[in-house]
Amino acid sequence: MAHRVDHEYDYLFKIVLIGDSGVGKSNILSRFTRNEFSLDSKSTIGVEFATKTLQIEAKTVKAQIWDTAGQERYRAITSAYYRGAVGALLVYDITKKQTFDNVQRWLRELRDHADSNIVIMMAGNKSDLTHLRAVSENDGQEFAEKEGLSFLETSALESHNVEKAFQTVLTEIYHIINKKALAAQEAARNSGPPGQGTTIHVVDSSDAGSSKSSCCSS
Amino acid sequence: MSLKGKLKIPNSFMPRLPDRSKTTMQKKKDADGDGGEIEDEELLTFHFFLGIGRSDGERWPTDGEENGFFSEGSSRLRTLFRIEGKEVSLEKRSELEFQLSQNVINLEVLQSIACCGDLDRDFRSIVWKLLLGYLPTQKHLWEEELVKNRLRFSELKREHLVNPVTYNFLLTISFISQSEHSAEDELVNSTRHCQDNDTGGLLCRREISNGDHPLCLANGSFWNQYFKEAMRNILLLFAKMNPAIGYVQGMNEVLALLYYVFRMNPEGEDAVALLSIIMKSAVEADSFECFVRLLSGSVDHFCQQLDNSSVGIHSTLLHFSQLLKANDEELWRHLDNSKSDIVARMMNPQFYAFRWITLLLTQEFELSSIMRIWDCLLSHPSGVQDMLLRVCCAMLLCVRGDLLSGDFISNLKLLQHYPKVDLENLLDVAHHLIPITSPRPFGIMP
Repeated sequence: MAHRVDHEYDYLFKIVLIGDSGVGKSNILSRFTRNEFSLDSKSTIGVEFATKTLQIEAKTVKAQIWDTAGQERYRAITSAYYRGAVGALLVYDITKKQTFDNVQRWLRELRDHADSNIVIMMAGNKSDLTHLRAVSENDGQEFAEKEGLSFLETSALESHNVEKAFQTVLTEIYHIINKKALAAQEAARNSGPPGQGTTIHVVDSSDAGSSKSSCCSS
Repeated sequence: MSLKGKLKIPNSFMPRLPDRSKTTMQKKKDADGDGGEIEDEELLTFHFFLGIGRSDGERWPTDGEENGFFSEGSSRLRTLFRIEGKEVSLEKRSELEFQLSQNVINLEVLQSIACCGDLDRDFRSIVWKLLLGYLPTQKHLWEEELVKNRLRFSELKREHLVNPVTYNFLLTISFISQSEHSAEDELVNSTRHCQDNDTGGLLCRREISNGDHPLCLANGSFWNQYFKEAMRNILLLFAKMNPAIGYVQGMNEVLALLYYVFRMNPEGEDAVALLSIIMKSAVEADSFECFVRLLSGSVDHFCQQLDNSSVGIHSTLLHFSQLLKANDEELWRHLDNSKSDIVARMMNPQFYAFRWITLLLTQEFELSSIMRIWDCLLSHPSGVQDMLLRVCCAMLLCVRGDLLSGDFISNLKLLQHYPKVDLENLLDVAHHLIPITSPRPFGIMP
């Protein structure tokens, strides 16, 4: 197995996949990163990790995705995985009302443990199971608007909207970072050394030939 | 506070014989339509119990016949032939056989045989039960113990698992036929599937396609259905009896391995196993008991309230980290603060070793390797948990070069999908690790 230190990206974004047990987080991840789906996947214990590199507005973005265990017991441990995350995909199952009701709890979880500027996409998964639907798309949409989240219904099985969900989150993060970087440059030009409370986004120039950057690193 | 050693199994209740034997007899009669046949079988059972079973093979069907994969007669016969005919003459195997033939089994010798990797798979079931303390070392006590435990289990099941939901589940489960037995009978013998052929809870060969595998997870898999009900009973019972822990995802992985091993070689206890006529329910009972015993040493890892206590998972992870530091400080330093990544600077053992430890490595290797590793875990004198941390640490040392040259992402991927390595070497490394100086109380070894 060859190992090399990978510098071939412009941005590295950490995304967490959260939501109740059994809503399909792991399959969303495998569909997105490996184009695979399994009806009989095992429960995630702790955390699983995958990456995918994609192009966003001519920049190479590497998504580092942390797929967390949904069961209550593992939640206490999961909180450690939020550190440094700039995006979250909050998944519920459209055939199980309870998982939608619990979205509120997951949002609280994010507020408690993640960066306050984290970009959140809510995904109503299993949209292929129309005959079992228990949460209408409208309810999802309304809730998302109320909470200021992006929203899509997805189907990992049919590969519907999965790519789009990630793409949307990553693009939004990219825009925010770009804007912040510009603002920071602007501020630096205007006021010399940054004052207290200014967020600095370091562009790591030590790696020759690459300009990596990231936000919310701690 | 610790839950260790406090797993609840009520020990005392009247050893009341359930109607099981009678019911099964009745069913045999129904299926065969021939009372004489049954008497014959009973007689054979009895003979075997006295150690004078026939070995001409005439009585039992061979593998190709429909009586099933697990047909107790045929697999027992194979073992007998091998032992009597000295077909297998491996030295170590003989040593194991010799040990198991003693009236009082020397646990230390057994431990060293299992540790060295000389455990023949045919004997794994019985050896694990001995190592877990489920079977006493005095052989003459086996029968009594097993019968007692199995009765207790069926009592527990009756007490805890027969509720309206179970009742309905059993009534609706597709395998249950429209037999003349009352629903009550079904509940008592809730492990039965193949009523048509009545193989005493055995799977029918002809119902299983060649593509179906014992570890198949697909819902359509016969094996899966067959295993799942027993697993479900055990886990449900465990959760009901230990409400502070309940069911935690991943427990199924630990149980599955025990159940699989016991299921594949139920003849371990020999005559005693034959006595409990419904083999499957005996395996279920054995698995439950051993599962409780195994978990009693690590149950705190499953308990969220104890996460930050001295017995919780974080403390164990810290211990693991110290063990690595004691044995390879360079690697420890590299993992502990590999700065090659901006987002996550630290390779927290929680990111990879959490699953290794809580699930006793059941998700990291292929089945045969896991069983081999468990031979070592169960036989290590200082206990399962201590050896487990050693193996985990050895896993890092065995891919040391890759880890030192890799960045955070590649390292995490490597450790979450652990590559194929020389297993014996891995275990050897584990055995020879330097223990850390401040030992934490580990161990469940009886």
